[in-house]
Amino acid sequence: MAAPFLFGALLLVVLPAALSFALAFMRYDVFASPTWQGVENFVVIFRRDIFWIALRNTLVFAFSAAPLQVFGALLVALLLHPERRGVRLYRAVVYLTSILPDVAYALIWLWLLNPLYGPINLTLSWLGLPTPAWLVDSRTALASLVIVAAVRVGEGMLLLIAARRTVPDSYYDAARIDGADRLRIFWHITLPLLVPWLLLLLIRDLVMAIHSSLTPVLLMTGGGPGYATTLLPFLIYEEAFTHLRLGEAAAMMGGIFALIGPLIGLAGWLTHRWWGDHAG
Amino acid sequence: MQDRKVRQTMPLPSLPSGGLMRQPSAPFGFTTLRRLASLPRRKQLERLLWHSLALGVAVLFAAPLVWLIIASLQPIGWPPPRTLAWFPHGVAWSNYVEIFRVAPLGLQIGNSLLVSSAGMLITLLTASWAGFAMSQLPPPSRGWLVGLALLLLLIPSGAVWMPRYVLFSSMGLIDTYAALVAPALFGTRSLLALMYYWSFRRISSELYESASLDGAGLWTVWRRIALPLARPTTLAVAVLAFSHYWSDFVDPLLFLKSTQRFTIAVGLRMLQQMNATNWPLLMAAVAVMIAPVLALYLLLQVVLNKDANFLRRVIHPFNE
Repeated sequence: MAAPFLFGALLLVVLPAALSFALAFMRYDVFASPTWQGVENFVVIFRRDIFWIALRNTLVFAFSAAPLQVFGALLVALLLHPERRGVRLYRAVVYLTSILPDVAYALIWLWLLNPLYGPINLTLSWLGLPTPAWLVDSRTALASLVIVAAVRVGEGMLLLIAARRTVPDSYYDAARIDGADRLRIFWHITLPLLVPWLLLLLIRDLVMAIHSSLTPVLLMTGGGPGYATTLLPFLIYEEAFTHLRLGEAAAMMGGIFALIGPLIGLAGWLTHRWWGDHAG
Repeated sequence: MQDRKVRQTMPLPSLPSGGLMRQPSAPFGFTTLRRLASLPRRKQLERLLWHSLALGVAVLFAAPLVWLIIASLQPIGWPPPRTLAWFPHGVAWSNYVEIFRVAPLGLQIGNSLLVSSAGMLITLLTASWAGFAMSQLPPPSRGWLVGLALLLLLIPSGAVWMPRYVLFSSMGLIDTYAALVAPALFGTRSLLALMYYWSFRRISSELYESASLDGAGLWTVWRRIALPLARPTTLAVAVLAFSHYWSDFVDPLLFLKSTQRFTIAVGLRMLQQMNATNWPLLMAAVAVMIAPVLALYLLLQVVLNKDANFLRRVIHPFNE
């Protein structure tokens, strides 16, 4: 009964991964059949500035968006954790950010961040605050993408609320009897017990931020202004489908795998360490 | 701890009671106020602070959607308003009719419905089969299968679209819906197979055993016992799978060539490129596109609220 699952995993994940590894050492433009050319592709991409720019942008993007996202999720989870009147509605509203389709989410934010007519800048100027040009200014474009990505805290919130529930009430009762105040309870009980979840969430958000930025970049900035928001997935897309240099694109994809591979390994190791075989 | 008792002395006079003003579903209604009033003052302040903070957070997160709707209702032809006034030129409901005339939105919605339904139905079969297999296999091979699913959970499908394109083009699947629905083979996302596994695992093994003693084969047990007992999971998987294919943008962008096959996700991109400055119409199309997704999640929320522990069980599989 697991046959379709195994077959699908083989055909759509394992085989493509192997194929992209092989393509990295070939010259291929879709029309002619691929020819072997050793490490040539890697030499070429390492010599191109745009690859290093995209790599740097990707790292900056992922390592600022993911921690912000986890931090935001933690704040919202702690706030919306108690079962009080209306809390389900509040949670549902926060969760909305995570269920909106990527295209719709990107287009909505493209409007919100419009420098002239966007509601955000209208609000800022009404408050008498400076109104940056957001996505149109090369100094703020990447930061804008970070903000847009970091606001999506819905799934993290749900996970952390569930994690917070695993902490037995008796811990808190005992701490209160000992006279601990809120901050110390958070610092010495809640936070340490949430650390495994926070780390896993952080790794997941990092992996997501590294590989899944194609949609927002394509719809919101097109990699610009200049190369300010050229992230690796977008560069790979351009190489493969605009310039038809699939070999080079595969070599760049090797860069993505090199970034997320260790993260995935770390996640697996941590899960095994903390939960052992219960995960299965 | 001692001084709190001193502060508790005088509760505020409670508001007049009476069933008339009860609003059980209101997030911050009259009853909340009344309950607040019966608490000691320090708790009162705390609760009030919590409610205003939570409400503030909710408003903040709802704002993009509210702004989306406002933007979609601005009359076409006026320059976009440069003040915070909501509707300086009136409300143009006609945008929602106009958008179907300007763009082939109806066709694209039809295409999306086709792809999403097919993807969802196949996913329900493959994910529940895989989950059932995981729950029935003996330990060593079960561990391998579950481990593979967990690994797939982490491997981003976005990282393999380029080689998938090469693969699909060599199989002649480019510009067909088969290329879009292909991930349904392994349950769309391995999370969905795992969700079935987690819920099948909760069914007592005696039930399975007694069924197989009665001569029921694996397929019969799956269909007659496992699936009916996992109905909430099926609903959740159906919603997740449907909205996955409905929202999918990168796959149709890469794998579809002819515009008459476009799904609504790439249709939005087409519309954006066609007239980039016509914000009201673009936002109306966005609102049309997200409506089914929101409706499905609302349905899921309402149904699952009756089974309050469900979400906790699904997203919290460890620590049992």
